[in-house]
Amino acid sequence: MEFIIDGFLKGLSLIFNGDAEVYSIVKLSLSVSVLATAVSVGVGVPLGSLIAIKKFPAKKIVISLVNTGMGLPPVVVGLMAMLLLSRNGPLSFLGWLYTPAGMVLAQVIIATPVVTGLSLSAMQSLDRRFYLQMLTLGAGQWQALWVCLKELKLSILAAVIAGFGSIISEVGAVMIVGGNIRHQTRVLTTATVMETQMGNFDNAIALGLILVGLTFLINLALTFIQQQKARSE
Amino acid sequence: MIKLRNLDFRLPSGFALNIDSLEIREGEVFAVIGPNGAGKTTLLNILALLQEAKPGALEIGGSDALAPSSRTRLRRSMAYLFSRPYLVNDTVYSNVELPLRFRGERDSGQVAEMLEVFKIGYLRDRNATQLSQGERHRVSMARAFVTRPRLVLLDEPFSSLDARAKEAIIGDLRRITRAAKTTVVLVTQDQEEALALADVLAVIKGGRLLQQGKPQEIFARPASKEVADFVGVETLLDGEVKAKSDNLCSVSVGPATLEVASECAVGDKVLLCVRPEAVSVSKAPEANSMRNHFRGKIVSMEPWRLEYRLSVDCGFNLIAAVTKRSLDEMGLKPGDEVFASFKATAAHLIRR
Repeated sequence: MEFIIDGFLKGLSLIFNGDAEVYSIVKLSLSVSVLATAVSVGVGVPLGSLIAIKKFPAKKIVISLVNTGMGLPPVVVGLMAMLLLSRNGPLSFLGWLYTPAGMVLAQVIIATPVVTGLSLSAMQSLDRRFYLQMLTLGAGQWQALWVCLKELKLSILAAVIAGFGSIISEVGAVMIVGGNIRHQTRVLTTATVMETQMGNFDNAIALGLILVGLTFLINLALTFIQQQKARSE
Repeated sequence: MIKLRNLDFRLPSGFALNIDSLEIREGEVFAVIGPNGAGKTTLLNILALLQEAKPGALEIGGSDALAPSSRTRLRRSMAYLFSRPYLVNDTVYSNVELPLRFRGERDSGQVAEMLEVFKIGYLRDRNATQLSQGERHRVSMARAFVTRPRLVLLDEPFSSLDARAKEAIIGDLRRITRAAKTTVVLVTQDQEEALALADVLAVIKGGRLLQQGKPQEIFARPASKEVADFVGVETLLDGEVKAKSDNLCSVSVGPATLEVASECAVGDKVLLCVRPEAVSVSKAPEANSMRNHFRGKIVSMEPWRLEYRLSVDCGFNLIAAVTKRSLDEMGLKPGDEVFASFKATAAHLIRR
């Protein structure tokens, strides 16, 4: 029990004494996950909305594929991304293996189905005639979708929160694609795993605390925005 | 304004809408009536270019509406009001301004003018989703008319309103469409609504256009039993034309002979139609110019809106509409003997 308490204390001291390496890890974690979330939202929200609104053959199969994508194991995603980016893979020309860009790609693959699926579900909860009404008022397809999304902003924000949550704390994909290289691709989750395996529990606890704290703060901010919007409606 | 040819449209449910030809003239109020599931809304969705239908031809305002490139442009020349007003979660002003924003235009006073026309200026800064049903309908109409559309499509727009609110909104709608010479296509199940607004009426049932013409003509001279049923002809009797003098046919219905002004020929098997309001009922025989007089017995009396429907057994069943006041004055009750009469021109024959 004592070593756990010691670990917590050392962890807190690492945080508050401004350990440079810890802060660079935090910075990279946030950059990778925020960028991946932004890309996932940019792709997933319009894609999910279009799937919900449009009528096309095999729509149910496409929705099933999106739902399956929401539960993709990060390790498998990491493996697939690594194979794509590896020297013999089709995306080798990008040179993204063991780089933050490759980690962003892996996280985009994880978060996009989550954002797409939740946006799709939110859009399906809206009466389709609302969208049609916007078209009849002279809106183009994208204008009509934008008005619908504004009506669904609380649900869309929930999709953003879920998308971010699905990648900030995942370890498998970034470990495989990034390689946990010090000062280059080491993020909070991979560093926590490494420190635990090395028996440096104080460092592991410090990184774990930061990860949980960051996740909490970001979700708190998003939830605050969401609830403020809910109150104003 | 609208020309539709050879429409054969099928929904995944198997429902088919078949219309050979439909023409709606500029500035006309064209009402489509029919029972639930007749295909009225589907027709409106096709005219609003919301339904992927491939008719032989669809022309709106002189443009080929089937060309995908003209879709948004044509939609911007029309407005479509659904039975439920779909308003965005924003102020009344923002809702009414929305069509202008979609067109990249700025409000140069049109919004305020529409708020005035539909008497909702005082609601300008209120959230539109928190208004009463009647107010929401007014916001929806102001929004639809803010771009001065040449064509307005109305899908049972007043069905959820109470009688007073409906009457007020219909009055405003009639005023603004007549003033702007807007072409209106109104879909409704409410015959009074159709009569109040329509220049031309079409009856649709089971995906087929059964009859089209002036409202009074359709109500007085339905072309088939289905139309007669729907437009409120309650006396429908099988008969045969036995004799004809000038334009007056003597029609045998069971043991009785009725006289009807009609183009039918002797020997024609017919369906004889009489509207309830065309039948006059009295306690004693009346000397009048009506050609058909029958003695009968009241079988039943049912209240219907502000009147009563009397079913009179005259050897055949004749339905008459009588006001509550007349009923009280004559002191009528089921089982009483009465005299029913109607004009030869008030009845109509449909060849079977």
